[in-house]
Amino acid sequence: MLWLCIQLPKLPLEALTRAHRAGDTVPLAVTQSNLVIEANLAAGNHNIEPGLSIATACAYCAELQLLERDSEREEQLLRQLAQWAYSFTPVVSPRSAEQSKSQQDNNPACLYLELSGSLKAHGGLAPLLLQLGKELHKMRVTHFMGLGHSPSAAHLLSQLPEHRQWLAETGTAPSPQQWRQWISFAPSKLLDCSNKAIAKLYASGIKRVSQLLAIPLSEVGNRFGRNFIDYLARLNGTRPDPVASYQPAPEFHSELFFPSPLDNSEQLLFPAGRLVRELCRQLQRRQLYSPQLCWVLNFGSRGTQEVNVALSRPLFDPQRLIALTKLQLERVELPEPVQALGLKCQQLRPLEAQSLREDFFDEGSTLHDTYQLIDKLKARLGHQALSGVTLKESYLPEQAWASADSLTLQSRQRGHQLAPVSAPRPSWLLSRPDKIHQRDHRLFYDGELQLLQGPERIDGYWWQHHRHARDYYIARSEQGSLYWVFQDLTSEEWYLHGVYS
Amino acid sequence: MQNNQLSEPSEKQPLQQLLSRPDIWQLASQQRQLRTGISTGYRGLDALLSNRGWPRGATSELLLDKGGIGEISLILPTLAEMTRQNRMVVLIAPPHIPYAPALVQAGVRLEKLLILHPRGQRDQLWAAEQSLQSGACGALVSWQGKENPADKDLRRLQIAAREGDCLHFHFRPGSCASAPSPASLRLQLRSDGEQLAIQLLKQLNGRSGQRVHLPRSPNLTRRDQPLH
Repeated sequence: MLWLCIQLPKLPLEALTRAHRAGDTVPLAVTQSNLVIEANLAAGNHNIEPGLSIATACAYCAELQLLERDSEREEQLLRQLAQWAYSFTPVVSPRSAEQSKSQQDNNPACLYLELSGSLKAHGGLAPLLLQLGKELHKMRVTHFMGLGHSPSAAHLLSQLPEHRQWLAETGTAPSPQQWRQWISFAPSKLLDCSNKAIAKLYASGIKRVSQLLAIPLSEVGNRFGRNFIDYLARLNGTRPDPVASYQPAPEFHSELFFPSPLDNSEQLLFPAGRLVRELCRQLQRRQLYSPQLCWVLNFGSRGTQEVNVALSRPLFDPQRLIALTKLQLERVELPEPVQALGLKCQQLRPLEAQSLREDFFDEGSTLHDTYQLIDKLKARLGHQALSGVTLKESYLPEQAWASADSLTLQSRQRGHQLAPVSAPRPSWLLSRPDKIHQRDHRLFYDGELQLLQGPERIDGYWWQHHRHARDYYIARSEQGSLYWVFQDLTSEEWYLHGVYS
Repeated sequence: MQNNQLSEPSEKQPLQQLLSRPDIWQLASQQRQLRTGISTGYRGLDALLSNRGWPRGATSELLLDKGGIGEISLILPTLAEMTRQNRMVVLIAPPHIPYAPALVQAGVRLEKLLILHPRGQRDQLWAAEQSLQSGACGALVSWQGKENPADKDLRRLQIAAREGDCLHFHFRPGSCASAPSPASLRLQLRSDGEQLAIQLLKQLNGRSGQRVHLPRSPNLTRRDQPLH
C-alpha cells in the first residue's frame, strides 16, 4: 500500500475565491467568530495573518474585504476534489476540516489517495505526483503532500518539511525503514491528536515521536487512553488503518463562487472555461462522456437558473465546449447578479470504442462537421427549433408523419422500413386543414377550384369516437396551384389539407 | 536570356488568369463546356444553364408569388440525390410541414433532412450562414420571411455557400425580380396552365432571358377518375 495525503490548508479561503483570476490584488480575509482564519497574499502583505481579530486586521489594512467562512462551500469543494482525485485512483478518501470549539485546534481538510494500484497507468510515481500537483495548481488549490505506508503515516509525514523536500527532489517511494525513521524523528506536535493531548506530551518532556515509541504501550495507554494507542499502532503499521472510501456518483458537479457577484454574462466566460477544463480532464481519464452540459447560475437567495448545452456526440475539446456555451450565455439576460457558477453533468455515459471510431474514421470529416453544426444550431436556436421528419403508419394523412429528433441524423443504419402509400401525396401538409368556401356547389379558395382527380376515400378509425371519413381530391386553382382537398363525409364541409408544390 | 525566360510566363499569366475568372463569359467555350453544375434532373432546364445544372456553392434564387405550381418538384430531384449521397439537406423556415410520405416517394432519405424554425430574421440569417459554410450540408433551402433581407446579407449567404460548397435555394416573392441581387442564378417561376413556366432572369457567365416550360407530373393532372 502506498498512501498519499494531500493537505488542503487554504480551503476556507479557496472555497470562496477560487473563481478569481490569477493576480487579483484585492486583500481578502476569511473570518470566523470575529477572528481572521485565513488571508490571501495581498492581505498577507499588510501583515494580516490567521489569529488576528477583525478589528486589528481592519486597522492594518483599510480596504480589507472580509468574507464569512462558509463550511458548506468548503465541503462542496472537498467533494469536487475527491471526484477529481477519483479520476486518478479508485481508492480516495476525503477528510473534512475538524473544527473544534477552541480556535487553535483546527486540522485542515485533506484527501487520502491510495496510489500503488495506479502507478503503471500514469507512468510511475514521479510523473503521477507531478500531474497531481500541476492540476491542483491549475484549479488554484494550495496543497502539500506526504507519502506513507498508511493514511496516518502519510498525514504525519505531509507535515514534515524534510519529507516534503525529499519527495519533491526524488519523486520515489521511500523504503519502510526510511518511513519509520522519519516518523520517529518527527516532533510530537505533528501527531494527529487534540491540542490538549499534545500539551500533555510536551509537559511530560516528550518532544519527538521516538521518545513516545520508547515508552511501553501499557503506560502510554494509562495516560492517553486506548484511542491514542490505537493511533500509534496505525502510524507504526502494526495495525490496519482503514479510511472511509469515497464512491463518486457517475456525475460531475463543480461550482465557482464569486465573492463580488457578476452582473454581466460575458464575465461568466472566464470561470466557465475553468470549469469546462476540469470537466474535460476528468471525463477523459474516466472514459466517460456527457451528452449535455448544465450550467447553474446561482443568484444567491434569489434562486437559480439553468442553461443547458446539448451535445450530439462525445466532445472533449474545451475550446469547442466553451464556444457552444458562449452561444447560450450570450442569449441569457441576467435578472440578478450571479453569485456562483456551477457546472453539472448528471448522466455521464461510458465512452464506447465504437462511437469514437465512427467519429474519426467513418465517413471522415462530414459527420464530424454535421455534429458540430447541430450542436451550434441547438446552442443558439434552442433544442425545439431543430427537427427532422419520419414516416408513421397510419390511415390518417396527418398521422402518417412524425416530427423526429434531429439526432436521427446519426443513425444511418436504421432506415425507414415503412413504405409510403403509392397515391401521389403533396409535398406540403398544412398544420391544420383550412376551410374552403362553398357556393352553389362550387369551391372557392383564392378563386374557383377545379377538381382534377378523386375521390380517394380515407375512412379510418370508424371504431373510435371521432370517425374520420373523408374523400380526397386533387384540385387546381385559377392561378394554377395544385391542392390536396377533402370533403368531410360527416359534415360535408370542404377543406384544404396539402399543396402539391 | 534569363530575363526573357522570366518575363515570358508572367506575360502569359494575366490573360490566363483573366480567362479563368468565373465572371468572364467566353462565347468560344460555350459549345464544349462540360457539366460543372449539379444536374437539376430536368434536361430542358439543364440545357439552359451555363454549367448544365445548378451552380455549385452558390445561391440560386427562385422567385414566385403563388405556391403550389411545382416549385418544390423543381428542386426535389436534386435534394433527393444529395441525401442519397449521404449529405445533409437543411430546410429553414418552410411555409408548411414537409410531408414525409411525399418526400420518401421522391427518394429523399429522411434521416438526412434537418428542418430549422429560427425565431426572427436575425436568427434565420445566422442559421443559414452557419449551415452553408459548415461544409456539412449538401443543400440548403430557405424562404424569405416578411422582411426583405439587406443586400449585404444576401451577399454573405452567397459567400457562405461558396465556402461550404453548398447548394443554396432561396425562395423569394416575385416582386423582388426588379431589385438587383448577388445570387449566381435567378429564376422566375410562374404557372402556365398545367406547366411550370421558368424564366431565366440572370446567371453568372451565361445568357439570360430564355424560358422553359416543365410539365407537371401526369399523376397529378390526368383526369381518368370520375369526378365528384
